[in-house]
Formats: sequence, structure tokens, C-alpha cells
Amino acid sequence: MSEWICFWITAAVLVAGLGFFAAGVIGNCRFAFVMNRIHAAGLGDTMGLLLVTVALAASTDGILAVGKLFLPLLFLWITSPIAGHFLGQIEYFTNPKLYDHVKRK
Amino acid sequence: MELVELCRILLLLLLIACAVSVNLTKSLLHAVIVFMSYSTVMCLLWILMESPDLAITEAAVGAGISGLLFLLTLKKIKQLGGKDGNVQ
Amino acid sequence: MRKDFDAWLDGETELLDRLPEAAERPDLSLDELSRVRQEEAVRIGALPRTRALAEKHRKRFRLGYRLAAVGCCLALMFVFLYMTAHISSYGQENPRATEVSDRYVRDGLEETGATNIVAGMILDYRAFDTLGESHVLLTALLCVIVLLSIDEKNMRSPYGDYSQIRLERYFPTEQDSILHKVGLVLSPCIMLYGFYVLLGGHLGPGGGFSGGVVLGTGLILLSASMGDGVTDRFLSRRRYHAVIFCALGFYSFAKGYVFFTGANGLENHIPKGTPGAILSAGLILPLNIAVGLVVALTMFGFYNLFYRGGNGEDYHD
Repeated sequence: MSEWICFWITAAVLVAGLGFFAAGVIGNCRFAFVMNRIHAAGLGDTMGLLLVTVALAASTDGILAVGKLFLPLLFLWITSPIAGHFLGQIEYFTNPKLYDHVKRK
Repeated sequence: MELVELCRILLLLLLIACAVSVNLTKSLLHAVIVFMSYSTVMCLLWILMESPDLAITEAAVGAGISGLLFLLTLKKIKQLGGKDGNVQ
Repeated sequence: MRKDFDAWLDGETELLDRLPEAAERPDLSLDELSRVRQEEAVRIGALPRTRALAEKHRKRFRLGYRLAAVGCCLALMFVFLYMTAHISSYGQENPRATEVSDRYVRDGLEETGATNIVAGMILDYRAFDTLGESHVLLTALLCVIVLLSIDEKNMRSPYGDYSQIRLERYFPTEQDSILHKVGLVLSPCIMLYGFYVLLGGHLGPGGGFSGGVVLGTGLILLSASMGDGVTDRFLSRRRYHAVIFCALGFYSFAKGYVFFTGANGLENHIPKGTPGAILSAGLILPLNIAVGLVVALTMFGFYNLFYRGGNGEDYHD
């Protein structure tokens, strides 16, 4: 019984993570403005990867294997926001029509 | 059919699609990005073929360094795109 | 010309030093500068004096070039035909094709001492291939240096030397404090992983090429996030040429020794060690390190050379 509960929780978390990835990919393809696309890409890289890693860790035995699973998560959580930060910064500095897309107060 | 077999066939189809679209894209920048995704798919295929040596090399060279070098070359020859042919 | 070349070989005088530098004459336009350089080159004897003499040199060179080309083609044809005569005909059983791989799988661990049979294959049985690949990388790096150096736009700067050009970029990444900190944290991790892959090449997946590329990526990240000055401080142009030269020289001499003793049936006195230990597998570990250094520095050199210099724009006018 407890195995089945574990399986279903794992499956639910995995599907939720893949849903975040799908949202990221669809947003990356469908949005027109760069900032929105950065947001969509970051969604998959952070939340989606966290959920997928948690699901995989729940179905793995051994503390070492689980630790290894979380290493990519750590590095992607460091690098992905940096990439987003830089893309946004470059867009801010180089796009003369930035305020057409952004609501001004 | 096994799931792994299905994954392999999907990856191979994706590989062919990437390889064809590298040639068909007009923009050199897009070609470089598609080429990097080709390398990523190839890396997964190496893992499926149980040769992690080549997978590490493919991931580091194909998806990392060669893409970077291609982009730097595009910067040098002013083919990065943008309105006046050069991103400032 | 011959005398000047000999003197240049001896290191007495630098031929290019006597030509007027682009940086010294910023008042001249590029056409005038090239005219002045040509006159200077004729004056010191690097170029033939008259047009007829130059034509004569060119004709002699072309004749020699054609003869050499025909000779090379004939030699290659002979080699290929000779090889083709020894291939077994289509459909026939070819024992040579399976014999080699069978032997690699059966005796590889015992003969090379490497638990990773791929490393044993590329660095022991087929070490000559890997040496050629490393030399191809070095040749590509030299070609990039030569090609970038002949462009006046790349050379024409207040600094003169290509490797010291600092272009003011539109978006200097190293001034960003976030990237600075992240580069400080990440690049040692990447380099550590690169060393792990490099040193464990004979025990598990990895080896010279993959480890070297990962190491080069770490260097590139360090250079991109902290600025060129950081890597220049411990890796000057001179030093990385020296490291590449030493690595390739060590590889050539070590494998030359092994080939020589092996071909003559002598004992080569290189301990194999126990398979699985870090110091085992004979020459594979040091050769992995040599190949890894060459690959890492070549990748970093590509990045460094392409990154610097002109943006493709004429910033001098």
C-alpha cells in the first residue's frame, strides 16, 4: 500500500514538473517580447527542474545517489537566473522601443 | 515495443530534423543554435549507446565550446543579425 | 634575404621589428602604411629588389610547386592502390576485422593496465592517432593566430601586439558584480570536475579530450566573468605556448620510446601497476594529462583570440 502511495505521489510531482517545462517551452515559442520569454524559460529551469528532481529522488535509493541528483539542480539554479539577468539587462540597454511593451507609471 | 526503443527512434528523428534544418535556416545565428541542439540530442544518443566518454565530450564540445566559438566568429564577421547587420 | 632569414632564425634580429609598426604611425592611412612597409622590406632585403627578379622567383616557385604536387599525387596513388590490393574481396570472411577488436576486449586490461578499455585503446594501442589529433588542434590554433594577425584592423591599435589588445566593449561583462561573484564560485567547480575527468580517464569514463574541454570551459568562464586580466596574469601567451610545446614534446618522446622498444622487442621498463589504482596503467595517466593540457589551452586560446581585437568594425577611422 505504502509503495503505491509513494508511486502516485512521485508520478504526480513528475507530471507537474513536466507541465512546468511544457509551459516554459510553449511560452518561449509563443511570446513575442523578450522579457516574457525570459520569464517562461526561467520557469522551466527552476520550478520544473526542482519538481522533476524531487520526483526522481523519491524513487531513488541511497543518500549518495540523491545528492548527485541534486547537484545539477544547484548549478542550474545558479546559472539560469544569471543568464536571465544578462539577457534582460542587454535588452534593457539595447532596445529603444522597450517602453512599447512595458506599462509605464 | 520497449520504451527505450521508442525514445531512441524519437531522438534519431529529432537528430535528422536538426541536421536538415541546420542547412535550411537562412540566418547563421539560427543555424548555430540548431547545431547546438543537434549536439545535445547526439549526447543523449551516446548515453543510450552506453558510451559516457563520448557523451561528456559531445556535451562539452558540441553544446558548449563550439557554439561559443561559432558565435564569436559570427561577431567577427558581423553576421549576428539585428537591423544594421550587427548587434551593438 | 637568406642571410636575414638565418639571422632571424638565430634570434639576432626580428624581421618584423624593423618594419614600421602600425601603432607608431597613426598619422598614416592604411595604403600609405603598406607602401612604407613594402619599401622598408625591400630596403632590408626581405623582398626582391626589382619586379623582374620577383617574377623570376615566382616562376621558380610555381615550377617547384607543380612538380611537388604531381609527385605527391603519384605517391598517394601508389599507396592507395597498394593498400587496395590487400583488401579481401566483397563478401569474403575478413578475419582481420574482428581479430583486432576481439583482442582489445580480451587482453586490453592485461596489456594496458587500464580498466577503461577506451582509454587503453586510444592512448596505448592507437596512441599515434591521438598524437595526430593533438597536433591538429595545435595547427588550428596557429592558423587562427596567423589569420587574425594579417588583418590590419586587428593589429592597428595603440598596443600593437595582438594578444594585448583590450577593446572597449559596449557591454563589459566583468563589471557586473553578480557575474563576478558567480564566476568566482562556479569556475573552480568546473575546473575541479575537469581535473577529475582528466585524472580518472584510465579508470572510468573520461580522459584527455573530455577533461581538457571541461577545463577549457572553466578557463573561459573565469576569463569572461573576471576579465581578461585574471587569466593573463597566470597564463600569458608565452607561457601557454610553452605548456603546449612541453605537453606535445613529452607525448611524442614517451610514445616514441614505447614504439621503439616495442618494435625491437625490448623491455620498456614502464610499470603497469595494479589495475584500478590511480597510479596505474603505465603511460596512460601522464599522456592523458598532456592531451588534456593541450586541448584545454587550445580551446581557451581560440576563445581568447576571437574575443579580442577588432569587432569587425573600422574603429580607427
